Amino acid sequence: MTTSTAQAAPIETTAARLRRGAPALLLLVALAVASLLSGSIDGLRLASPDRSHGDQLRRAIGDLPSGALVLIAFDADLGTYAEIRATTRVAIADLAAHGARLSIVSFTPEGRAIAAAEIDRANRAGTGESLADLGFVAGAEAGLVRSVESIVPSAARGSTIDAIRERGGGIGAFDMVLIVSGSDISARSWVEQVGTRLPKLPLVAIAPTFLDPELEPYLRSGQLTALLATLREGVAYARAVSVGPESGPGRSVGPLPMLVGMLGALGVLAETAFRRLGRRGRRPPGRRAPS
Amino acid sequence: MRRSILTGVVLVTGLLVLLDLMIVNPSLHGAAGAVNELLVLLAAAAAVGGGATLAAHHARTLAAGDGDSTASIVLLVGMASMLVAGLRPGSSGSSDPAVLWLVAALLAPIAASLFALLFVFLLAAIRRGFALRLRETSLMAGAVAVVIVLLLPIGGQAGDWLAAGAGWVRDVPLAGVFRGLLIGTGILVAVSAARSLVGLDPDDD
Repeated sequence: MTTSTAQAAPIETTAARLRRGAPALLLLVALAVASLLSGSIDGLRLASPDRSHGDQLRRAIGDLPSGALVLIAFDADLGTYAEIRATTRVAIADLAAHGARLSIVSFTPEGRAIAAAEIDRANRAGTGESLADLGFVAGAEAGLVRSVESIVPSAARGSTIDAIRERGGGIGAFDMVLIVSGSDISARSWVEQVGTRLPKLPLVAIAPTFLDPELEPYLRSGQLTALLATLREGVAYARAVSVGPESGPGRSVGPLPMLVGMLGALGVLAETAFRRLGRRGRRPPGRRAPS
Repeated sequence: MRRSILTGVVLVTGLLVLLDLMIVNPSLHGAAGAVNELLVLLAAAAAVGGGATLAAHHARTLAAGDGDSTASIVLLVGMASMLVAGLRPGSSGSSDPAVLWLVAALLAPIAASLFALLFVFLLAAIRRGFALRLRETSLMAGAVAVVIVLLLPIGGQAGDWLAAGAGWVRDVPLAGVFRGLLIGTGILVAVSAARSLVGLDPDDD
C-alpha cells in the first residue's frame, strides 16, 4: 500500500461519516432556526380548534373558592414531560393567578426529579415561596392510598401546610387535585385509588397524548373533571388563559418548529420508502432482497 | 403447604382491602391501613435493594476490570453525589438546595436531551427497518405518515378538517383497540386473581 493511499483512506472514512450525519445535522439546524423564528405565523395553527377540553379546565379553576388549597401531583415521565411542560406551567400560573394555595407532591422518583426542577425554576423566578413542597411519597399506589389520610411530612412548615393540617392533613384537605400524569402513576391511578375514597374531590389532569385513550373515558364518566391530553389542547388552553407576566410560565410551543420537524420526518419516510421500493422494482425476478 | 400459605395471605389481604372500601368500620380500616403501611415499606425496601444491587454490580465490574468501566464510574459517582447531597447532616432530603440543583441543572436537562434525540434515532430506525422487513415497516411508516399529515399545524378550513380527522382516529379506531385491550386484560387479571384466591394453578386444568 502506498503512502498516498493510506492517507486517503481516513479522509474517505471521515467524508462518508459526514455524509451520513449531514441530514440529521441539517434537520437539527432547521429546527433550531424555526424555534428562533417561531411566533405568530399566518396560515399555521398549533392550537386545537376544539376548545372544550381547555374550557373544562378553566371552568374547574374558575369555580375554586378564594384561597383554595390545590394539590399538584407531579408524576410525569422524563420522556414525555416535554410534551406537557408548557401546559403544566401555564396551569400552575393560572391557579396561582386565581389565588389558589399550591402544594406539590410526587409518588414516582422521576416525577419527583421533574417537580424538583420545576420548584428550583420557581425559586429562581421568585415565585417558589407560594409552593408548599410535600416532597416524595414512597410506595407508589400504596403510598397514594396512605396519603388519603396523611400527606404532610412531619417536618414541613408554612401557612399552606398549617391550613392542610387544620383540614385533616390528607388529600381530602384539598379543594382540587391537578394530576400531571406519567406512565407509572397516571390520572387512572388517582381515579381508582383516590376517586373511590374521596368521590367529591375534583380531579383534573394534564397528560401526554399516549395516555389519552386510557383517560378519555374517565372524563366522559365525570370521574375526571377536566383533562388536557394532547399538545394541541394544551396550546389552545394556554392561548385562552391570560396569565400575568409575573407568573412567567415560559415560552409556549410554536407551530413552525413542529411543521419543520413533521415535514422533515415525512421527507425521510418518503425518500427511504421510494428508494427501497425502486431498488426492489429493479431487482431481477426470483432474486431475494439483501438483508 | 407453601402455596396454601401464599394463597391464604393473598385471600386475607385482598378481602380486607375490599371490605374496607365497602364497609365503614374503624377496626377494619385500621387493619387495612396496617396492610397498606406494610406495602409501602415493602416498596421502599425493594427500591433500596434495587439501588444497592445496582451499585454492587458496577463496583464488581470495576474491580474485575471488565465491561464499560467509564459508565460504571459515572453511575457510582452520580449515585454517591445524590446520596451525599440528600443524606449529609443538616440536609433537608429531596428538598435540599443541593439536590434540587443536581436534578434541575444536570439530571433533567441530560434526560431531556437524550429523549429529544429519539426523533432522529426513530427516523434512522425506520430507515433500517425498510432494509430488514420491508412489508411490516412499510405498514408502520404508512400509518406514521397518515398521523403526521393529520397533525400538521395548518390553519384555516384545511386545518379544521385535519384536526377533525386526527380526533376521529384518536377517538374511534385507536380508542376502540385500546379499550378492547384493556377490557381483555381486565378479564384475564380477574380470572387469574380468582384462580389464585381459590388455589387453582395450571396443573389443576
